[in-house]
This record gives sequence, structure tokens and C-alpha cells, in this order.
Amino acid sequence: MPAPPENQTVNLMQSQKPREDASLHSKSEDSGSDDPKLRVETGGEWQRLSLISILYFTIRNVTNTAQGLIYVIPALAISFNIWDNLFSPQVLIGAGVLFLSTSGSGVISYLMYKFRVHNQHVEIHHGVFQRRYTNLPLWRIQNVKIEKPFYYRPFGYALVVLDTAGSGKEEAKIVAVPEAYAEALKKQVLYEKVQHEVDDVACISDDELSAKRSSTLHSSKMHTATTHAHTHEEVLNRRSVKDIIIHGITNNRIWIILGAAAPFYDDVFGVVSEWLAGKGLQLNQIVGEQTVAWWQFGLYAFVILMMLMALVALLSVGGALFTFYGYTLSRTGDRYIRRSGLLNKLEVSMRASRIQMITAKQDWLDKVLKRVNLYFEQNSTAGQQVQELMSPNKLIVPSVTEDEAFELSQEVMPGCDLRGQQYHTISRRFIRFWLLAAWTTPLLGVFVVGAVTSHLDIMIGAVTAFITVALLLTLRWWRWGIAYDNKYVYIRRGRVGVDYQCFEPYKAQQVIIKQSIFMKKKKLATIKFVLASGAVTVPFLPEEYVNTLADSVLFDVESTRKSWM
Amino acid sequence: MTTDTQQETVFSNNQLSADEIPSFKTLTLVPISKKYRALNIFSIGLIALALTGIAAGMRFQRFWSLPDNVLIAYPYVVAGILAIGSVWALYHFFADVRIFYAIREQDISKQSGLIFRKLSCQPILRVQHVEVNRGPLDRWAGLASLQVFSAGGEMYTFEIPGLSIARAEQLREFILAHKDIGAR
Repeated sequence: MPAPPENQTVNLMQSQKPREDASLHSKSEDSGSDDPKLRVETGGEWQRLSLISILYFTIRNVTNTAQGLIYVIPALAISFNIWDNLFSPQVLIGAGVLFLSTSGSGVISYLMYKFRVHNQHVEIHHGVFQRRYTNLPLWRIQNVKIEKPFYYRPFGYALVVLDTAGSGKEEAKIVAVPEAYAEALKKQVLYEKVQHEVDDVACISDDELSAKRSSTLHSSKMHTATTHAHTHEEVLNRRSVKDIIIHGITNNRIWIILGAAAPFYDDVFGVVSEWLAGKGLQLNQIVGEQTVAWWQFGLYAFVILMMLMALVALLSVGGALFTFYGYTLSRTGDRYIRRSGLLNKLEVSMRASRIQMITAKQDWLDKVLKRVNLYFEQNSTAGQQVQELMSPNKLIVPSVTEDEAFELSQEVMPGCDLRGQQYHTISRRFIRFWLLAAWTTPLLGVFVVGAVTSHLDIMIGAVTAFITVALLLTLRWWRWGIAYDNKYVYIRRGRVGVDYQCFEPYKAQQVIIKQSIFMKKKKLATIKFVLASGAVTVPFLPEEYVNTLADSVLFDVESTRKSWM
Repeated sequence: MTTDTQQETVFSNNQLSADEIPSFKTLTLVPISKKYRALNIFSIGLIALALTGIAAGMRFQRFWSLPDNVLIAYPYVVAGILAIGSVWALYHFFADVRIFYAIREQDISKQSGLIFRKLSCQPILRVQHVEVNRGPLDRWAGLASLQVFSAGGEMYTFEIPGLSIARAEQLREFILAHKDIGAR
């Protein structure tokens, strides 16, 4: 095998060169462009925003205050009758002061804001009470949005929103810059990002792929850095209507229909109650008057319940068909693409390298039918509440068979065997801890209340609740485990159903070890891995095991230095 | 492949035995500034004082009359504020001296918590960006907190509170200057 290394080193050299050339080129272009305003770098000097930003800040502060005041209005209305005194001097003075202070705060916000784009970093100082300093390297910016509020348009200004892959907090806004500058900044950021990705792909191809593949990848990169290797698309999995119906039954997808119908709820309830009233019928009358025998009433209730259940299942199947009809999962180049949908085709695509974790979920009905819901999870932005199925962060393969699940997980993470692991189960103290810490006191309280007021049903209820909780905790303890095979970390969890999770340790963002003083005595600890797709926790493991695992995961992250994206 | 590794002089990736992997146990933990505890207790005092002040203001103002049960509740409200304030302050009294941090070549760690001890470790390779944060009281006390953001999301922002300004800036520089920071 003497040839591949040679080839690879050449590739490396080549991949370095164009980048330098290109960046030089872009710089010369920048400096060569006649309009000096279009240069992205502002130099070491801190810049102020355009004066128009005062308007932006004022409007923002006024809306924020107004939003805050909404909660105060009821309190004010209760404390004294505001409508009678609406135009009394006190109220007018109060409103005036409020208005002046918020509009004045716009000027202050403006004065407290400064920014610069220097050495390929965007730096911003902002905040009035809480001073914040944000520093974003251009190449780390994931997304550039240019917003133009209507009052910016006549003056040709724009608001640049810079997003990194992390949380909403990391979002940086350059509040008012000329439109041309905003566009130039966007171009520059996208350029830097592409450069970075090219480097990344080159790295991956160097260490992992065969020489041939890397060279094809590389040549395609040479053509266009933005478009990815366009090999033919290979379909990995299709879901038939039968599979989707199974999915609809096993997973409650009713909310898809319910969610879409939400605006009409009030109307529907109105119509139904009118209809009932028209029949001279009121629900509380039926229940209140003892006109029917209790068993008849019970039977009615049971029949209605069954009908409701059937309706729910039907709606759920409808919902599943609505989202998953014609489901295909395919791979093209380094991307996975999911297409599905009855009325509107939804396409979600995900780069293979972005997948942080595979999750295989199986609840009790899935277990009976031997089906698995498989999820490929990529980075999720915290606080962004997207519906699970529509979410671009999770790529779901609905209700596959166990063998298909195995094949698909092998496809994404080669050598990953979710079921074949020797899972290290958690300590039995987990059950005792949660029973004692969380459940004993309230349930004992309920029991004592029942005993004191001599209500046998309350006492029995408390005991049953306690036993149920204990059983569920036992099941949870029984399921919860972790395994590490030097390549992947596996986690098994669940109560009645089982979830398997698998991730590559080098993708960890943070490792957390938790240990209460009681756990320390028993030499137990909880481990938590923070991934870009969310965190996974395994509690009550032996301290030794946790420490070694944490050390080796960190070692994996820090020594391989592979990108998590 | 062996020729490849021999050619590379900078990169090394030799097999290590389990003993050679750096371990958490050898971390040398450094306490944060002692002022942090005092500042926290002081600010709790301020908040309690402000709340008691508001309650007293409501109780003894002459603009409108209060119902009787509010008058009866007043001493309990004050007692409640003081009780919660003192428990809170007591927590900080014991917990704040148990906040430690440690810096290694490749990661930063923080240990905190009174009963539930938590040790979190943030590899610098995964750092997205760094902030030095200073509230009004922090500025007055000459303290700062270092916030390190990773792609793990807002909930898992790594934060070391109660650092001296110089130390916070030094840590920020250390992280920014780290050779891996540009590598994502």
C-alpha cells in the first residue's frame, strides 16, 4: 500500500494551496474594489452604528416594556379603577415618564453599543446594565440573516443577525449598517465558511476514506466548493402504507390533526353545545339526576370511551399518513435525505457528519409488533421548539423492523450494535433514592390525611400510587444502563418500552460528573454527556467506572480533534 | 499507513495504556475569589431589604387603606422574607467556598455544589465563543464571570463565576489563543 499515502499527502498540499490563494485573491479583490465602503474589515477602531439604530433600539425597548406591562395591567386594574382616572394628572404623568424613559433608553442603548470587524472576528460591546462583549470568528458563523425593518428601508440600512451553531444567546446583531456592507459581510462569512468546510472535507478524506474516494471528492471540490459531490442517489429505506399505518397505531400522531384543527376548536365546541341545548339536553343534568342505573351509566361511559379510543387511533393513523406517506430515506454523497408527505412533500436533508446520535425507540406496542422508530439526531438549537417530526434536527425513520433498524444504524455508524452490548446497569440505590427523596413524603402525607379523616379510599389510593411508582422505578432501574466498546458509547433506557442511544465519544461537547455526598459514601456517581443534539445522563454508576469513562471520552475528544459537525 | 505516521513529525497518536490517559483525579482545583461569597450574601441582603422595604412601605403608607387581613399578614410576610433570605444566604455561605476550577492544556473544569457536587469539564476544542460578563455589583466588587459557550446549548453554558477581572481576562485569552479554537 505505498500509493495511497503519497496520493494523500499530495491532496493535502493541494487542498492547502487553493485556500491560501483564494483568501489572498479575495483580499486583493477587496482592496482592489473601488468602493472602500464595501470592505468588511473595519480595522482596530470601534465603530458606532448609524443614527437610525436609535429608532430601532427605541422601538425594541418600547415593545419590551409594553410586553412587561401586560402582566401589570390586571394588577393595576384591581388596585384602583383605572378607567375612571384615565386622564387624571397622575396617570398622564406616569405614562409620560414611562414613554420618555423608554425612548431615552434608545439613545442610551445606541451610545452603549459599539462593534468592529477585525482580524476576521466580529466583536460587539453592548448592553446598558449588563455589559456584554461578544466575539465571533467569521468562519464559525453558521447563518447570516439580513433583516430590513420598514423604517430602515428608505435610508438603505439593514440589520445583520449572525448565528452560530449554539444557543440563541450566541446570536449577535449588528443593528444598523448600510445595506451594501451587510451584503458584503454576508458574502465574506459564507466564503469563510465554505473555505472551512473544504478544509474539513479534506481532513476527513485524508484520514478515513480510501484514496480513490478522496480524490473524487477532492476533484469535485475543485470544481465548485459550495456544491457537494453529486453522486447518484441511493434509496436506503422506503416505508409502505402498511408500515405507516402501524406507525400511526403504535405512536400517537393525533396531534398532527389536532394541531391543524386548533383554530376551529372554539367554533366546534360552540356548535356542539348549541346542538345539545337545542335538543333540550344538558350534560350535567344527565349525570346529576339518578334516572339511569349505575351499571347502565357505566356501560354508556365504556362504549363512549371505546369509540373515542377508536377515533383517536383513526386520527392518529391519518396523521401518520399525512406526514409519512411515500416515505423514502436516501443517501447522496455525504448526505441523508428524507422525503415524505401526502399533500406537501417535506424534504429534510442532513449531512452524515452532522449526526450526533442514533436513537432507537421502542414502546410496548412496538415491542409486541417488533418495530422500532429510528432517529438520527443532529445539533438542536436550545429553545427552538420545533415539532419533533417536522424538525430538521431529527431525521426519523418510522416503524422499521428490528433488522432494518440494525442495518440503518450500521449504515450511519459502522460497527454500531445497539442490542449486542453488555450494558452496565445502574445501582439499585437509584430506586431507593427516588422513592425516599421524591415520593415517600407526599404519598405518606396523603395516606395520613386519609387515615385521620378515616377515608379508606384515600388510603388505598396512596398505597396503590406508592406501589405503582415503586414498580415503575424498578423497571426504569432495570432498563437503564451504559456500555462503551472503545468506539461508541451506548445507552439503554426506558420503563415499559426501551430506548437505545448510541453516539461517538469524540462528538461530546462537555462531560459532567455529578455526585451527592450520599452517593460519594457509596462510591456512586452520575455521568452526563452533553452533545450538540442534547444531553444524555446515566445515574448511579460506580464511581470508578464513571471516572474512567469520562477520562476516556475526554481523551477521545481532545486527542482525535475531529470536528463534531 | 506506517510510513505516513513516520513522515508526520508534529502529529503523534501513539497507543496509550489506560494508566496514561489523563485522569480527573489529578486535577488541581483552584478556588474562586473569596469576594464572591461576600458579594452574594450582600446582594441577598439587599434584595431582602428591598422586599421588606416594599412590604413596610405598603403597610405604613397613608394613600389608601388596606384590608385587615393584609395588616395581620404583614409580620408573617416580613418573617417569611427574612427566613428565605437567611436560608439562601446560608446556602451561599457554605456553597460558594466550594466552587473550584481547573485548567488543563486541553480543557477547563469546574466543581461546584454543596450537597450535589457537580464536576463539569469543557474541552477547549469544542468552545464556540467566550464571554466575560460583569453585572453592576460585579463591577463594584471587581469581579467577573467567564462564560464559555459550546454547541451543547444554552443550558450547558460553562460558567465560572467570581473571578477577578484579571483572571477572567487571562482565561479568556488562554481559550482564544488555544490552537484548537479555530478548528471547531
